[in-house]
Amino acid sequence: MRSESKAPVVMPEELAIRIEDLSIKYKINVDTKRTLKNAVMRASKGEKVRMRTVEAVKHLTLDVAHGSVLGIVGANGAGKSTLMRSIAGILPPTEGRIIVNGKISTLLALGVGFNPALSGRDNIILGGLASGLTKDEIVEKTEAIADFAALPDGFIDMPVRTYSSGMYGRVAFSVAVNMTPDILLLDEALSAGDASFKEKSFQRMRELCAEARTIVIVSHALATINELCDSAIWMHKGSMLAKGKPEAIVDQYLKFLDVGALPSNFEDM
Amino acid sequence: MAPNTEFRSKIQVFEPHRASLPPLIPYLKEFWNRRSFAIELSKFADKAEYLGSKFGKVWLVLNPLLLALVYFLLVTVIRGGSTKVNGLTTLAHILIGLFTFYFASNCISAGAQSITSGGRLILNQAFPRALLPFSSSISSFQTFLPTIPVYIFVIVVGKFFYPATQVPRLAWSFLWVPLVVALVGITGFGLALLFATMNVYFRDTNKLLTYIIRIWLYLSPILWQPEMLHGWHRIALYANPLGPVLAATSNIWINGKTPTISEFIGAFAWAFGSILIGGYFFISRERDFAVRI
Repeated sequence: MRSESKAPVVMPEELAIRIEDLSIKYKINVDTKRTLKNAVMRASKGEKVRMRTVEAVKHLTLDVAHGSVLGIVGANGAGKSTLMRSIAGILPPTEGRIIVNGKISTLLALGVGFNPALSGRDNIILGGLASGLTKDEIVEKTEAIADFAALPDGFIDMPVRTYSSGMYGRVAFSVAVNMTPDILLLDEALSAGDASFKEKSFQRMRELCAEARTIVIVSHALATINELCDSAIWMHKGSMLAKGKPEAIVDQYLKFLDVGALPSNFEDM
Repeated sequence: MAPNTEFRSKIQVFEPHRASLPPLIPYLKEFWNRRSFAIELSKFADKAEYLGSKFGKVWLVLNPLLLALVYFLLVTVIRGGSTKVNGLTTLAHILIGLFTFYFASNCISAGAQSITSGGRLILNQAFPRALLPFSSSISSFQTFLPTIPVYIFVIVVGKFFYPATQVPRLAWSFLWVPLVVALVGITGFGLALLFATMNVYFRDTNKLLTYIIRIWLYLSPILWQPEMLHGWHRIALYANPLGPVLAATSNIWINGKTPTISEFIGAFAWAFGSILIGGYFFISRERDFAVRI
């Protein structure tokens, strides 16, 4: 949740996101299922729970300007999704600080909060309310969101469980981009939908940028990063290895995927 | 690109605040601002649950009603039969006690699951997580409301046949009903926060809760009258989170009297104790939920 800062907040006007020396660690239980029964059994035997500390993000410092599109690339487990969730205020920093200047809209887990028994229209209302809009605001936007999702005839009023995965993704994406966010966080959200929907999505994102809104994209589709982003970072095992123009970052990342080569500055560290 | 000036007022800072509460005023403000989300979520959850089932919601009222009849038969058989006049009083006491108990237990059992079943919502959106158990409490309240007319109907019909019974049709004491119902709701919501947090850490809490609620029902003054306890036995009534408030409910509906001071003190203490302890337990750990579900 939002927190009131004790240290003075220095946030230049041109910045949408400022990440200061961010580290995120959490503990995971590597043993048995987490149940009271197991806890009591273990306690009776005098056994301790084996916990493993995961350092998902390590000392990351980054500024993102208003109106820019930042791409994040990296292998699975690099900490990309954790970073996105911490920017959204979902995961707390363990160290450091994140300052966000603007209203955030997120698409971090596909089909977010969607109740499969309800219609697409009902889910749009629920999704909008979850992201902080009032009922009147979301009802006003519902038609535009449904139009943007461009589902086949009548599907918008049918239960979401009848949707194909593509249709599901289109509705979720439409909700996220039509919230008029200042900052849009997308985690692998562009894989949903066909070629024409993808083009429409790109178009919508360009419009958002033209309105000085900021987008952060996590994607394994490197062509998307090249096409949409004006800067990119490469994350590896929780650290930011490189930052720069998307083409250069994607090239370095591809080289790493091919031959396992880390950037020279990282090898020096 | 020139920054949009509307951004300036929306600065949010996310910082570590380990093992303690987040700043409560912004939290509660955010909770209040998003209350319509909790209200709509409860409406939509009901809609999804009873979609295509015309009698779905009716069962929610019928279930405690039928259970009350079964308990009534059980109690009168165990007592070796009772007069018809006392019989209606016993039935009324079981009915209103069971309806009230169900309100609290529905808040707790539905609220306990609200975090673990709200997975994707929690992973995708930042909002005060207490809204999820709050939404379950709203649903439970909406289920409880129609049981009141059912109770009144049973009493009106019962008094038509047995006018000598002590149960009042209408009494000034009924003015206390909203306060007592609010105290039941606050206690239920507070305990829901506690069990919802426990359920995140221990996934079998919910199974255990089924047994706890069943035993709790028998320990509560529903199948027996609070007046049956004397002397130090009355501790059993006040040690039960719903004991004083159920005794107050019985006093209002069955005796047509204002609840006693000790019932009020007990009910207030449990309501605020539950919300404070449950709230602290929940809010101080809710930022952990996203990595644990």
